[in-house]
Amino acid sequence: MTMLVIENLHAEIDGKPILKGLSLEVNAGEIHAIMGPNGAGKSTLGYVLGGRPGYEVTDGSITFDGQDLLELEPHERAAAGLFLGFQYPVEIPGVSNVQFLREALNAQRGSRDEKPLSGGEFLKLAREEAKKLDMDAEMLKRPVNVGFSGGEKKRNEMVQMGIVDPKFAILDETDSGLDIDALRIVGDGINRIMRKPDKAVLLITHYQRLLDYVQPDRVHVLADGRIVRSGGPELALELEREGYGALGAGVEAAVGA
Amino acid sequence: MALSAQAWRRPSVPELLDLPSTRAEAWRWADMGALSAAAALAPIARAEHEEHFLDLPGARLLFVNGVLDEVHSVLDRVTLIEHVAGDHALGRHAQGTGWSLRLDTDAAADPVQVVHVATGGENHLPAEIVLADDAVATVVETFVGAGWSNRATRIALGRSARLQRSVRLLQAGGFVSLREEAELGSGASLVSVFLGAGQAGSRIDGQVVVGEGGYAEMGGALLTAGQQRQECAVRVRHAEPNGQSHQLWRAVAADTSVASLAAAVEVARHAQKTDGEQSLRGLLLQRTATVNLKPELEIFADDVKCAHGATVGELDTRALFYMQSRGIPKPRAQAILTRAFVADALDRIASEPVREAFAADADAWLDGAL
Ligand SMILES: Nc1ncnc2c1ncn2[C@@H]1O[C@H](COP(=O)(O)OP(=O)(O)OP(=O)(O)O)[C@@H](O)[C@H]1O
Ligand SMILES: [Mg+2]
Repeated sequence: MTMLVIENLHAEIDGKPILKGLSLEVNAGEIHAIMGPNGAGKSTLGYVLGGRPGYEVTDGSITFDGQDLLELEPHERAAAGLFLGFQYPVEIPGVSNVQFLREALNAQRGSRDEKPLSGGEFLKLAREEAKKLDMDAEMLKRPVNVGFSGGEKKRNEMVQMGIVDPKFAILDETDSGLDIDALRIVGDGINRIMRKPDKAVLLITHYQRLLDYVQPDRVHVLADGRIVRSGGPELALELEREGYGALGAGVEAAVGA
Repeated sequence: MALSAQAWRRPSVPELLDLPSTRAEAWRWADMGALSAAAALAPIARAEHEEHFLDLPGARLLFVNGVLDEVHSVLDRVTLIEHVAGDHALGRHAQGTGWSLRLDTDAAADPVQVVHVATGGENHLPAEIVLADDAVATVVETFVGAGWSNRATRIALGRSARLQRSVRLLQAGGFVSLREEAELGSGASLVSVFLGAGQAGSRIDGQVVVGEGGYAEMGGALLTAGQQRQECAVRVRHAEPNGQSHQLWRAVAADTSVASLAAAVEVARHAQKTDGEQSLRGLLLQRTATVNLKPELEIFADDVKCAHGATVGELDTRALFYMQSRGIPKPRAQAILTRAFVADALDRIASEPVREAFAADADAWLDGAL
């Protein structure tokens, strides 16, 4: 079953075109990797999917689970099952992880007519999830991401993903900043939480090493605002060996090589 | 974000009431027009007062338009006495019969709660809190109703006496003006926290003189919306060595409201080893709102530590989107971030039930404003 359909997506920031006719389909049960040079528009794609203000869609469409995603407010997209793992998770002084996540989960549950979790129920869930990702439960009490190391922030993103248990995750360079052990733990976490027949993942990454743990079904190259090449897992290995320059004339022009 | 539109308002009325002129520097942000308008408010029905008393032991004073409602009050250790007028421009209007809490050496009183209900027009009430050496007290005051409520409170703390004072302005309309004058003996401690979370205009006017090794906190949060204007103008003076003071104020302004924070710390020539901190921060919920900040340091001693910071900003849009992307609707995300912004000011309240009540008032304000 097709979960996400992006057709001819054009988006701009401050009047500057960034996505220039991007098309992509992701089926339930699949994990797709998106690779591509710096500045190609990978994070922009994530933000457009999440509905970040200032990212204006000028053409094309995004359909998620049969509904027009662009019609939904960011929080409604979350409630519909979308999760955006940030390349740079945001620090929120004065708001604890626990408060933030409980508010988030209960808001999502509320919009699905599920009853809210009590403080105790939530804490139990959060502690379990933190433990599975080898994050110190004490960090749940700290303000969101404040003073967390780069790797701790990424791990915290995965704890959040485990707690809200989304249908579809866009993970933007979740592997960057992770040490070797953390990479394995996070990779296992993605598989555990998301590798299910009714779920799907868009994994944005620069390196093969995360893909060693989380085997992609499809690999796409995003360059200059478009998907310029798609293939199986072997495409990532080829890119790792030969770089983006070797992909052929179309990509070379797009990459500016 | 300019003030000019309001500056000319009703120029003749302050003279009529004999109010300070906004031409004077210390009064330049004062909303005397709103004060006069409040004084002229037609009578309104008396607001419910019961809900404003917290579930605490001790004295409960209910003042309706500045007059004690004996039926609904429990005086405990509080007495009514005659007060002479001070010389403060607004405070001097509050004279005559008012309340007094006097504690002897080493005494510790149950919390004193004062609820002020205004029902239109103007009302004035003087008060004093006098603690002898080592005495300990907690005073919580709440303003509700509408009208011009004017207060003058004199605080005198003996050696090592401690006073926790929390004041919340919840009037639905009109104006509240407070004049606080405190004098701290050696090693005495005064923690005053103010919350402006109603729809009335306000001016909190304070002067604290800190003695040797004394500790003073004067701070709080002013939340303004609509066309409301609230301000504080407080001055902490370190007269003796080794004192410590913190002035931590937060202002949140929505719509076309104006919040102004003026805080001064003054360190006398021989008040060495003074540690003074000032933190004034404003948050604009809309760009049409205004926050004025005026931190002032006047330091005449050479061996002192004084830190001050003053910033005005808006909610972090990245944090807002991050929260929305996790499923939190935008108004709720704004409320959470705004609450976090004022939290450190309200967290200075040591008593948990009082702190929680003030936090709930701030939450209620946010629910209305966002
Ligand atoms: N606020 C902005 N204003 C103008 N240009 C922007 C803005 N934000 C991003 N861009 C530009 O959009 C382009 C795409 O950025 P994006 O962050 O999507 O790249 P990316 O593929 O994620 O790169 P990386 O691999 O380095 O993370 C870049 O050229 C970037 O400079
Ligand atoms: Mg990126």
